[in-house]
Amino acid sequence: MRQIAIYGEGGIGKSTIASNLSAALNEMGYTVMQVGCDPKRDSTRNLAGGRLIPAVLETYRDQLRVGKDEYAISLDSIVFKSPGGIYCVEAGGPEPGIGCAGRGVLTALQILKDLKAFETYKIDVAIYDVLGDVVCGGFAMPIREGFAKEIYLVCSGGFMSIYAANNIARAVQRLSRRAEAGTGLAGIICNSNGDETLEHSVIPEFARRLGSEFVQFVPRTPVIQACEFEGRAVVEHSPNSKEAGIFRDLAKQIMENKKTVVPTPINDLTELEQMYRQHLNKK
Amino acid sequence: MDQSKQSRDDKCNDPYLRCAFNGAAQTALGVSRSALLAHSPQGCEYLVNNAFAWQECDYMETMTLCTKLCVDEIVHGGEDLLMRTIREAKDLKIDALFVLSACGPEIVGDDIVAVCEDMQPEVDFKLIPIQSPGFKGSQYDGIDIALDTMIKRLANDDGEKIPNSVCLIAPHANANPTWMADLEWVKQVLSEMGVKVVATLSHKTPLSDIENVPSAEASLILSHDAGQRAADYLSAKYGIEQVCKGMPLPIGMTNTQRWLNALGERFDAQKKAEKMVEEGERMVTATCRRKWPMARFFYRTPAAIVADATVGIPLVRFVTEEMEMTPELVALYSSRSSVRDMLEGELKELGLKPNVVYGTDVYKTRRGLMDVRPKIVFGSTIERHASEGLGVPYTVEVVRPMRQFRLINRAYFGYTGILNLFECVQNEWVLRWRSKDKRYEAKW
Repeated sequence: MRQIAIYGEGGIGKSTIASNLSAALNEMGYTVMQVGCDPKRDSTRNLAGGRLIPAVLETYRDQLRVGKDEYAISLDSIVFKSPGGIYCVEAGGPEPGIGCAGRGVLTALQILKDLKAFETYKIDVAIYDVLGDVVCGGFAMPIREGFAKEIYLVCSGGFMSIYAANNIARAVQRLSRRAEAGTGLAGIICNSNGDETLEHSVIPEFARRLGSEFVQFVPRTPVIQACEFEGRAVVEHSPNSKEAGIFRDLAKQIMENKKTVVPTPINDLTELEQMYRQHLNKK
Repeated sequence: MDQSKQSRDDKCNDPYLRCAFNGAAQTALGVSRSALLAHSPQGCEYLVNNAFAWQECDYMETMTLCTKLCVDEIVHGGEDLLMRTIREAKDLKIDALFVLSACGPEIVGDDIVAVCEDMQPEVDFKLIPIQSPGFKGSQYDGIDIALDTMIKRLANDDGEKIPNSVCLIAPHANANPTWMADLEWVKQVLSEMGVKVVATLSHKTPLSDIENVPSAEASLILSHDAGQRAADYLSAKYGIEQVCKGMPLPIGMTNTQRWLNALGERFDAQKKAEKMVEEGERMVTATCRRKWPMARFFYRTPAAIVADATVGIPLVRFVTEEMEMTPELVALYSSRSSVRDMLEGELKELGLKPNVVYGTDVYKTRRGLMDVRPKIVFGSTIERHASEGLGVPYTVEVVRPMRQFRLINRAYFGYTGILNLFECVQNEWVLRWRSKDKRYEAKW
């Protein structure tokens, strides 16, 4: 089973990438499970027809409230098959402002592991759509506990998204030494914010500096936004569009790419700024 | 030793002290007709039980509750569970329920103060939230947190001062297993001087006493490890003057004399103080003359003191002057600047230059003992083990944890305290002769 994790700055479009990637992989004939590791539980919305599916932690909490224990949870109550045939899971988490989302992610993943979800459904590819805004240890859980093997960073041409990706690369560098063998950075995906000239210039350079590969460029187009609004993946909603081809290509590249590296992040902010400024001035 | 090995060894530290949660529990449990609710996982309840024992609480009178946090509360927050637990406790016949938060709920951000405010109308007793996660520091820090909360939440200032009155800040911070006897001795001394004790913070203290704290004229701390923050607050907020500040506690002849005289001077009872000193010293010398303590065989013996600052600092003078030994190692659990200043002052006055270790742990103690190789150690059961193989023939157990003198409170303060300490030394000296091996070590 391939275990792929999508990391990146909050709001950069990880769920968009992850859900479209899942749909493209499903179309290619793989059995896919997408695990949303975010309390917002909106990762699988595109796959579930625009609806939010019940989350593992809410189900778990409901079981405890009625006097049952964690062993009362069944896979049927937390894994939902999308109309397209993709297995969808949402970790869920606490309400904003209370509890610990990071711990929640780990608990949800542990429940999936304990229930042998991947073996039961004979999953070929598990996509972890990791929460972006958490800075505590919970953010690292999918890597540390060996759930995420191949890590893809999503960023745009915005400086702060590159800055965030660089920070995540630092975490990956540290954690890949401790995590199970094979865990590492597999590539960078650009989810464009519209400034394509800059993005085509700076992101490959950034990927090179990390010692990794620039995998795919996803443009900012009305088609993707329209599909998202309809709660559908692009390959399902607009299968003949140029964008569908992009996601199919992304899926193909990811399945062919089995190389992971321990990234070499830029530790000095000034150096990162200089790199960005050089490309900004080229425009 | 190579550098990496050394740095690894330096990190090997077994602490003497428990965490802030334990210290806060100790302090809260000192309030009579109250209960304690640990907002914590089950394991922290062990610390409450430990604090229960230190305060010598009675299982028939004091109740401890626990929210028993599990993963669900860590993920989703434990405020609902805390509310339910408080609701379940609403029929308790108590004056106050102290709600103590441990590490877990403080990390995930449970707002115990808001929960207590919300729940207050539903219960007849006072809800007092104490934010005391273990990671805030040692039990000394926990004591300070709890005292701070209790005073700020409960004290009522009507502006009236009670003449010749004192608030005793007596946190059970010291490792002296007999601290309640010390407390009683202090209370007796104050009573003989005509000084009224407004409140004791905290040991069997009614809530009303804490409310009356601002009416005290003076505060008196019976610890060098904790409580200073409370005294400073009382001084700044209510103008309560601290007496015997910066002075070692009354262990040994000189310390007791200085301490009693300072109290006598403050409360205009000099003659009474002088009389106490005179009678006390006469009693000690007469007793020693009659009983002929063996402790005199320790003349100029190299000694080590490993203790909390409360007992450890005054013990330096006692060991030097009364026992006529030579302290060569002083290792204190604390490392606060006030503790450093006081110990350094004492050493300078006594003309001593021992090895000094502040904020000691078991490893540092062992290293200190290895360097000094004393013949006698004043410490705890831990030092008895830490001295193994170092040729230390005598370990006088005077601080916690200890195996002897656990049932009956025996004061260290005052003149009877001097005799009690003599007796500890003498017993160790006599017991040592029972073992052939140890007899050999002791003799040669």
